[in-house]
Amino acid sequence: MAAPGGWRGALWSRGGGKMAAPMQRGLCGGAGRWRGALGSRCLTAAAASPWRLLGALCLQRPPRITPALSPVQEEMARLVQQIEVEKSHFSDHEIRHLVEEEQLQKKKYNIQDEATDSGQAILLAQDLEDAWEQKFQSFKAGHRLTDADKCNDRTSLNRKLDRNLVLLVKQQVGSQEQWLLPQAEWQAGETLRSTAERVLATLSGNHIRAKFLGNAPCGFYKYKFPKAFRTEDSVGAKIFFFKALLQSDDMLQAERRGEYAWVSKGELGDYLKPDYLKQITSFLMDQ
Amino acid sequence: MRSALGKVLCLGKEMFLKQAFALSSITAARGSPICAVGSMTLSCKRHYRSQPTHGIGRFRHLLPVEVSKKKRDKVQMKEINVGSDHEYGDLNIQMTAYDMCLVEHYAQYVHKLCNRFSIRVKESYAMPTKTMEVMVMQEHGSKLTLDATLTTHQRVVQISGLSSTLAPILLEIIQSNQPEGVHLSVKEHTEADFMVRLKTRPELEELKAQMS
Repeated sequence: MAAPGGWRGALWSRGGGKMAAPMQRGLCGGAGRWRGALGSRCLTAAAASPWRLLGALCLQRPPRITPALSPVQEEMARLVQQIEVEKSHFSDHEIRHLVEEEQLQKKKYNIQDEATDSGQAILLAQDLEDAWEQKFQSFKAGHRLTDADKCNDRTSLNRKLDRNLVLLVKQQVGSQEQWLLPQAEWQAGETLRSTAERVLATLSGNHIRAKFLGNAPCGFYKYKFPKAFRTEDSVGAKIFFFKALLQSDDMLQAERRGEYAWVSKGELGDYLKPDYLKQITSFLMDQ
Repeated sequence: MRSALGKVLCLGKEMFLKQAFALSSITAARGSPICAVGSMTLSCKRHYRSQPTHGIGRFRHLLPVEVSKKKRDKVQMKEINVGSDHEYGDLNIQMTAYDMCLVEHYAQYVHKLCNRFSIRVKESYAMPTKTMEVMVMQEHGSKLTLDATLTTHQRVVQISGLSSTLAPILLEIIQSNQPEGVHLSVKEHTEADFMVRLKTRPELEELKAQMS
């Protein structure tokens, strides 16, 4: 069965994202088609391909605040703001303020005109500005660094608010426990995306709301089993990654079995193996 | 003509030469193709001016004929949704915000991004601005005072022919570059979205109601 397996391997290793859509369509029905085409050549019976298929979920928590500006950006922003303010015209509020100031000046010098000024507006523009200034002073912005950041608690969602966080779990693969993106075996009759949705459901028991952006997988990883485990039917495994953006903020930790962590792209190296890491970082956006 | 001249020349001598000369002058005046050369002065279509280079920059006659625009509404085009190539039809990327500069810059960014990805941008337009007055209850009293006026600006970038493999990537890039305060929504284009842009004509509707 080397010929069809090798053929397929060459096709898929060419590029994760681009080839995936037609291949995905071909996955469920394609196995049959390839078998039929090369039926005369293959000696063994019409068995499934020697690669086991797995669907994995890349659950991302999008950043909650914008990243801080670098010093150059801050300086530029300040300069541009200054230029804009100097070039702009007066707004209605500022015109009103200037007019009232002039009236006050006139009142100081001409006390006789007090009678005519009795119909003046009670609320001056200056009073409004003072009230707004007070409200602004009483407003307190939240902190950019949370408690979880300070004690480096990797299991909480409240850390690194300006970056993407990806969920990693420790799962049993073969004989060892490894840190990887949550995955599950593909079952016949379902699409790979529904495999990923099944992974999501088993993680949380339907408590997490996540949005899948599309049906096409975002990444791909293929590996061969160690020689001891290889059989006729399973030479290795192919994992297809699907990206989902987390919508709800609460993750019920009681449902969690086993270890998990929310990590940013830079911290992935602490957990994952080099080959796996290389494939995953190709579809994760920076920050 | 040449053969006739030859015959004349062969046959006779000086007494026939005059006739031959007369014949050749007539043929030259008619501008026969035998003596035509590639200069403007000899061709039949002159544009009246004296210089030979007159009309050297003419190009309008080479352009395709333009159909004159009628004042009727343009019929919208509808694409196949999820065709055999797994492509989306017309999608509207709507961006709304209170800050006009921010939403305009973001719309420009999205448009340029689509151009770079070779996604066809069908239309890029702005919806009319909505003004909201925020009234706050006064602390000492029951009057509602005007606290602020908020203007909501909306920009729409309409794309078509987005393949389903590129869609998740594009959406993620747009979402991760979304500025603060801008609300983003991606919807499929419908007839209702097109009709919202058009102004209603109340007199026409009144007349129609009267008729029916």
